[in-house]
Amino acid sequence: MVLLEADKITKRFGGLVANDSISFEVKNGELLGLIGPNGAGKTTLFNCISGAHQIDSGRILFDGKDITKLNSYEVARLGLARTFQIYVASGDLNVLENIMVGCFMRTSSTAKAKSMAEAVLKELELTDIAKSMMNELPVAVQKRVTMATALGTSPKLLLLDEVAAGLNPSEIENIMTVIRYIHEKMGITVVLIEHVMEMVMKLSQRVIVLDYGKKIAEGDPSSVVRHPDVIRAYLGERYAREYAATRPDSGA
Amino acid sequence: MEDLKNAFDFSDFPRIDLIVAGAVLIFLFGFPLFPHSSFAMSTMIQFLMFSLYAMGWNTIGGFGGQVDLGQAQYLGIGAYTTAIMLVRWDTPFWISMPVGILMSVIWSFIIGYPLFRLKGHYFAIASIAASLVLKDIFEVWEFVGAARGIEILSMKYSPPDFMRLIFKEDIYYYFVILLFFIIGLLILNAFRKSRLGFQLRSIRDNEDVARSLGINVQWAKMKTYAIATAMISATGAFHACYIKNIEPEDTMSLDLSILIALMAMLGGSGSLWGPIIGAAVLVPLKSYLKALLGAASGMVGIDLIFYGGIIMLISAIEPKGIWGIVEKRRRRRRN
Repeated sequence: MVLLEADKITKRFGGLVANDSISFEVKNGELLGLIGPNGAGKTTLFNCISGAHQIDSGRILFDGKDITKLNSYEVARLGLARTFQIYVASGDLNVLENIMVGCFMRTSSTAKAKSMAEAVLKELELTDIAKSMMNELPVAVQKRVTMATALGTSPKLLLLDEVAAGLNPSEIENIMTVIRYIHEKMGITVVLIEHVMEMVMKLSQRVIVLDYGKKIAEGDPSSVVRHPDVIRAYLGERYAREYAATRPDSGA
Repeated sequence: MEDLKNAFDFSDFPRIDLIVAGAVLIFLFGFPLFPHSSFAMSTMIQFLMFSLYAMGWNTIGGFGGQVDLGQAQYLGIGAYTTAIMLVRWDTPFWISMPVGILMSVIWSFIIGYPLFRLKGHYFAIASIAASLVLKDIFEVWEFVGAARGIEILSMKYSPPDFMRLIFKEDIYYYFVILLFFIIGLLILNAFRKSRLGFQLRSIRDNEDVARSLGINVQWAKMKTYAIATAMISATGAFHACYIKNIEPEDTMSLDLSILIALMAMLGGSGSLWGPIIGAAVLVPLKSYLKALLGAASGMVGIDLIFYGGIIMLISAIEPKGIWGIVEKRRRRRRN
């Protein structure tokens, strides 16, 4: 079953075409990777889907409904959650309260929102830091909290925008476990933008590659990294060789 | 009725806060029973009134981070509604006050709709402009007494008149406003823990994130703005009966709007105790400055220099005011 369907999404900023007629589908229960060089239009695509930007042409269907013209808060209420790449918390809300804000989308009761948030904290193993302020936490933990906040809205689809940026290898390992947990145990469909290729390769069932606002490739991870356009635009020859050397069994 | 339960629930504060709050409350109830000057009494009433104004401002300005500098207009609407209804139609206070609140809320939606399309400094500037337009209208509108304003003649009534809120002795006014003060505190306490309160704090943090969590930012701000204006308007209605002589300059001026915002900001915006602390510092200061400098001609307006200085101090030292300093200390001790 198709959960999200983007049909020829085009978004222009003045003369710049940030998203040029991009079409793709996300199936229910899938984990989709979205890669491409800086400025390829990945975050813009997230903004278009989540309603933060209004698209210039095209159509977006989510869960069978046309969400093309909806505002981001309306899209969120339908069950499409996202995280932000750059998120500066001023430190007014503690971790538990941050997640409660998300839970308040589903309930108006403070007591209920609190118990929902506590459940999410428990699931992502964040209970110990419930009372901490965001700006007191290491970046890796902050990223987990932003994911927990999005999960507080009980979404069907979660868009993750570079949750591994700026993390060290062991932290990346940790966040991959979290994403796997969200995808497999919580049963939430995930689309992730990521530059950490190791993570994209290991996690994604399918990968879409953007370059200059256009979709240049789509397919399973191992065939996408062999795609000549992807190597030229993003990965470079060396990575492709290294990847081929480490995983000789996969792909054709 | 979770909100009602939340209003009386102060359990998330440390015990020292509750002891201090209890002591302050006992003092407030006991104060009139001890010998006091009429100057001290009027200062105390002013303190309670400005606490309420600042509490109202704190909902949208503190929790929501929308620096509104036009709240005096709602004080004016509340005061004028009560004064006009009393003078022209002999309407009791307990009817005219809700009518004033209703008018303020309607007006707040009319103004709030365009206002909350703006952000940051633009919002602050536009909020000033909107309130000054209303003041200018009231200054030339004959029905409301134009620039002369309206006078409530207490000799026409037989005080103590609890229906019309006309008293000879200030002690009656004191206890009425103390009742308002406690209700205001409970409302703010419930707001703080409500869904809307959480949403506003999220909006203050980051509007894009708030939207992505399903919050209709514009509507949440307008609802909160209406709550703020209702609290300020109710206190404004009290102001009319207490002062008895209202004019646009006293009830709707920019000075007043700034003072209201300043009290909440100095005490600690976005906290429950902040507005009270701010009013406790600034109201006596304002009264004594007036008494001290009022006699010397040419010194009018010098209090504004003090306020300007305070604004600079807040922004330089601690944007969250006095309460922000307390909280920071506490957190440091805990870690």
